[in-house]
Amino acid sequence: MMNYLWAGMLIIGAVFAAAKGNLASFTDGLMSSCGDAVHFMIELAGVMAVWSGIMEIASKSGLIGKLAEFASPFMRFLFPKERDKDTIAFILMSFTANIFGAGNSATVFSLKAMERMDEQNGRSSLASNTMCMFTAVSMSMLQLVPITVLKIRGDLASPNPGIIIIPSILAGLISMIVSIAVCKYYEWKEPHL
Amino acid sequence: MSSILNEISSLFIPVIIIGVIAYGIYKKAPVYDYFTAGAKDGLKTCIEMLPFIIAIFIGIEAITSSGAMEFFQKLIGPFMEIIGIPRELTSIIILRPVSGSGSIVLAEKLMRTYGTDSLVGMSASVMVGSCETVFYVLALYYGVTSVKKLRHALPAGIIGYIAGVLASVYLSYIMLIS
Repeated sequence: MMNYLWAGMLIIGAVFAAAKGNLASFTDGLMSSCGDAVHFMIELAGVMAVWSGIMEIASKSGLIGKLAEFASPFMRFLFPKERDKDTIAFILMSFTANIFGAGNSATVFSLKAMERMDEQNGRSSLASNTMCMFTAVSMSMLQLVPITVLKIRGDLASPNPGIIIIPSILAGLISMIVSIAVCKYYEWKEPHL
Repeated sequence: MSSILNEISSLFIPVIIIGVIAYGIYKKAPVYDYFTAGAKDGLKTCIEMLPFIIAIFIGIEAITSSGAMEFFQKLIGPFMEIIGIPRELTSIIILRPVSGSGSIVLAEKLMRTYGTDSLVGMSASVMVGSCETVFYVLALYYGVTSVKKLRHALPAGIIGYIAGVLASVYLSYIMLIS
């Protein structure tokens, strides 16, 4: 699926650029986005190294086991098949980092969690129920303080920059409940995967 | 209210780092050795991810810089108004799932044009605060795995995103009339 999606994006992009006479800026955009990707990775590499190191300490010293037990009722509902404590810990850390707006850290935890789930899934080409639920919840994970938006609203002299916090949390919750419901429906239809 | 929440958010990372290291020391674990071993592992993951990230970045750039996005906006705009969503929000609704930074720039522009506390400005703020970059996340997360068929990860993401968009607009509307 990724093959068609990716090819489609590039081909549609090229066709539109040609039709609109945007080819020069299209080419520039493509070339600079390659650099952006490497920049993004370099920025992420530092954060990745730090959190992987910290989580290694937490894992080997037994802290993760305790944390995973503590959160197990919630995690058992979302991920009934997940037993591996380190994976649960990465999932938990990803959710908490998201809530606190630590975007880069959240990405790192999520990628680590995905890697582990992929291994447990036997490197299958079909996503497991656990993976689907994890990505669905991360995609709708709410952020306690949307710092960037608050800053923009403040800069534009909004009379009340913070007024959007409560609606944002509510909208995030609604989106999360809907995503979880969709996943649960598919899990009920195909419980073996 | 928001300043208390801000404080909590900025405490998150230091508290975890200190907590984990203190617990390790208390358990007499070789924390420095564990840290460097884990960090090495993390860097390996980064290198493995790089090709996928480059692929995602150029794919998204192809769609946004070619003008294809504007075409889709014109196509969908009229349908938005039927379900009570201002037409001005079409661009950000389409851009948000693929580009986090792009949608933030767009939200800024919308707020500058229509006012931060207009229905358009508020809905855009709430959307950026609550709706995620669905396609970007899917491409990135599944990029590190061997998964080829996403199964219900895609519908769950899209339906959740639509619910989030509708909730953002309707909740902003409620906030403005109350």
